[in-house]
Amino acid sequence: MSRLMVGAFYNPHLGAELVRAEGIDHLAMADPPAPSDTHWPAIKQRYTLLLHDYLGQLSEPLDDRAIARARSLAALYDTPWVAEHFQCLHTEDGTYNLNYVFPPLYTEEFLARFVANAAALQARLDQPLVMENIPGFFDVKASQMPEPVWLRRFFEATGAGFLLDLPHVWLEAHYRGLSPDTWLAEFPLEHVVELHVAGVEQDGDLRGPWIAPTEPSDAMLEFLAQAASRCPRARAVTFDAFSPSLTAEVLLASVDRIRAAL
Amino acid sequence: MSDRAVQDLVIRALADAPFRDSAAWRGRGLADQDRVERFARFLARHFYFERIVHFFKYSRALARVTGRHPEAILRRPAFDALLPTAVLGGRETARAVAGLVVDYVREAGGAAPYHDDLLRYEEAMMVVEAGPRTSTSPGTGAAPQTVAGTLLLELDYDLPVVLPKLLQPWTQVPEAPRRAAKLLVARSRHGRVAVARADQAVAAVVQLADGTKTLDDLAHAAGLRPAELAATLQDLTEIGAVRFSTGS
Repeated sequence: MSRLMVGAFYNPHLGAELVRAEGIDHLAMADPPAPSDTHWPAIKQRYTLLLHDYLGQLSEPLDDRAIARARSLAALYDTPWVAEHFQCLHTEDGTYNLNYVFPPLYTEEFLARFVANAAALQARLDQPLVMENIPGFFDVKASQMPEPVWLRRFFEATGAGFLLDLPHVWLEAHYRGLSPDTWLAEFPLEHVVELHVAGVEQDGDLRGPWIAPTEPSDAMLEFLAQAASRCPRARAVTFDAFSPSLTAEVLLASVDRIRAAL
Repeated sequence: MSDRAVQDLVIRALADAPFRDSAAWRGRGLADQDRVERFARFLARHFYFERIVHFFKYSRALARVTGRHPEAILRRPAFDALLPTAVLGGRETARAVAGLVVDYVREAGGAAPYHDDLLRYEEAMMVVEAGPRTSTSPGTGAAPQTVAGTLLLELDYDLPVVLPKLLQPWTQVPEAPRRAAKLLVARSRHGRVAVARADQAVAAVVQLADGTKTLDDLAHAAGLRPAELAATLQDLTEIGAVRFSTGS
């Protein structure tokens, strides 16, 4: 495994701190820079930037406008790879939209859709595509295979890279009553290009833990270290927090602790 | 039923509380109902957090004076009371949630003379953004029609002057000129909310374009020359306030 880059998400409200920060190799971009963002020119000049925007859900083909936007952002950031999620968060007719990552059914039909639409996107991009796993809070009985099997078949069919979100694996294991290590072992780690790590907190609605803009726990960092050692192609680890409530102290401390854990 | 259609049912169940409680959903037994309900409540709070932070950003900037962060309503009982009827993205739910924010922030008293105008503006932005995405085309017919949800706001203060200043560093609350301003708030074909100053021509066209009047009728009713009407319609179409009805 080559040396891993360690970075975070660009949070525009922390632009001043990020321009001055030490020890951050890259920033993932969840949104395009706002025209009023005075820190953007320095951020762009200083950091390796990873395109991690919402480009579209690959249960449907991306239209020309979405692909043009993806290409434009990829060029703006000079990103080494383009990330999307295994998500299907709005209905086909657009009437309902959860506005939050939500996984597809793990079925043959959805696998065929994602493979075809990812391949079409890959053909239009100048950078490799990586795809991020999304946690399910509940199982849908219509699914036909376990998520890790579905993901493995996707990566083998497309050659896309795997953006392994570790807290997502950790949460799924928690809600399935499994150990995180046991659940992680099912995933196709040989395809991992980037890892995400984040904090989790108790959520009142879920009555259990969920992703939160807080520091990763020691246990999560230990999980990261173990996972990273099993991902021979991994190139980057990103602190996955993007929220107006995130503080510079949490972001900077998290990146330091991630680096120390690896 | 295709797998894609099943996925749509699950998405609808998470977004649409009355559907989630219906026999049409429950009878399918697709997922553990308790977990679906818990996740749906989580999603609703997230959904409206994002919108409140975005659309009420000026009131957020004033929170250090008012002491009221708009998103605080998401942890109040009144928001929980909305959840059994909430439809994420629905205009009625957006109106109800925005109304909670306005009441909560307004209770603190005016941080500035224009604060009531500001709250009306922010509320309008949030409500206009909601509603069904039924058409992505500006249309090709001959009868212009104001798009449902488009709003004309008549304000006592010239808010566009002060809005950018509120988001910059300030020590004294920025002032807005006290002069009447009319703003058009519309949602573009791509879902973005656009705001434009509305002159008399714009206001007339928005109020009169009902999808039945021809361009000649509309020009006559609005008191505009054909070239003026064409220019106005082009601007209104671009921001999503007007589309051309294809007729019945």
